[in-house]
Amino acid sequence: MASGQEILNVLLANETRADLVTMFRKNPGLIDSVEGVARRIGRTQAAVQEDVAELVKLGVLRSRKLGDREVISIDRLKDKEIQKDVGEFLQNLKPNLQGKV
Amino acid sequence: MPRIKSGIPELDEMLYGGFMPTDAVMVAGSAGTGKTTMALQYLVNGITQSGENGLYLSFEQMPDQIYRDAASFGWDLKKLEEEGKFRIVLTSPDILLAGGGENLLDELIKEIGAKRIAVDSLSHFAMFIDEDKLRLEAYRLICFLKAKGLSSMYLWEAPQLMGNSFSITEVGLSFLVDSILLLRTIEIDSALRKGLVIVKMRGSDHDKRLREYEITSNGVKVAAPFSGYEGIMSGSARRVTSLSEEDLYRKGLIKKNERKK
Repeated sequence: MASGQEILNVLLANETRADLVTMFRKNPGLIDSVEGVARRIGRTQAAVQEDVAELVKLGVLRSRKLGDREVISIDRLKDKEIQKDVGEFLQNLKPNLQGKV
Repeated sequence: MPRIKSGIPELDEMLYGGFMPTDAVMVAGSAGTGKTTMALQYLVNGITQSGENGLYLSFEQMPDQIYRDAASFGWDLKKLEEEGKFRIVLTSPDILLAGGGENLLDELIKEIGAKRIAVDSLSHFAMFIDEDKLRLEAYRLICFLKAKGLSSMYLWEAPQLMGNSFSITEVGLSFLVDSILLLRTIEIDSALRKGLVIVKMRGSDHDKRLREYEITSNGVKVAAPFSGYEGIMSGSARRVTSLSEEDLYRKGLIKKNERKK
């Protein structure tokens, strides 16, 4: 299990990744190909391929085969767990930050 | 036989109680006639009034926009999703059809135990499929949902329904569905009003009159049939003038002995 810090590093590694996570969280019913997902955030398949793979590895997104098509969707349960872990990490960070001020 | 109520009381009256179970219903109309609103209302009412969970399958609109639009009618779709009673799915027709088209829907239907589904839209579905295969693929989708015991509503964007044309779909899809509701914009006294008519309903009698409806803050509200107008289905209605017997007599349209004493 990745730590809160590690999760945040993956989620916010770049703008594309943040856009992907934001889109899937706002639209949890989205099920599309990588190409379709890329189009919906105004990018190309090549530009998002690696970021989608990283988010699948983290567990936020889910990849599966439908016939001969690979489709991407959000893993609602796993994403909830991840949000909880990040929330706890940020909560623990708060007293430390306050102590430093 | 129990009916599938739309939850819109006046529409259920027109349907003599509601749609037939597992029927495929087409809601056809041009942009702005309230097809999406009616479909969402059908699903939300199914959950809240009949305990029938629902699935909204969109090929066009992003779910966040649908949540927002539904909220303006007081329907909290996110809450219904959290309760496991409702799902919005956005995908493309080619993905739906991949692997026989059944894998994706099958999983979602089981996930929430869906009993109703709205497909938004069949016209978008048609854009992705060759015309010679369209009827077959649409028929396969309709049969699959019937086999799963779902009552389904298919939206059809029909821009040609303004004016004199009365063709619902040009590709013969209207033969595949059991019922057709036609939503229509009508010009009356220089204002645009909305009219609804049941064009077809297999296995049941129904109200054949064109009734006015409005999209209110609570969703679709069906009102009384249009009366006192002619040429309504042409899209441009004219008021029927009622002449008194005296006027009719003066114009020579009735004889003296036909006048009431």
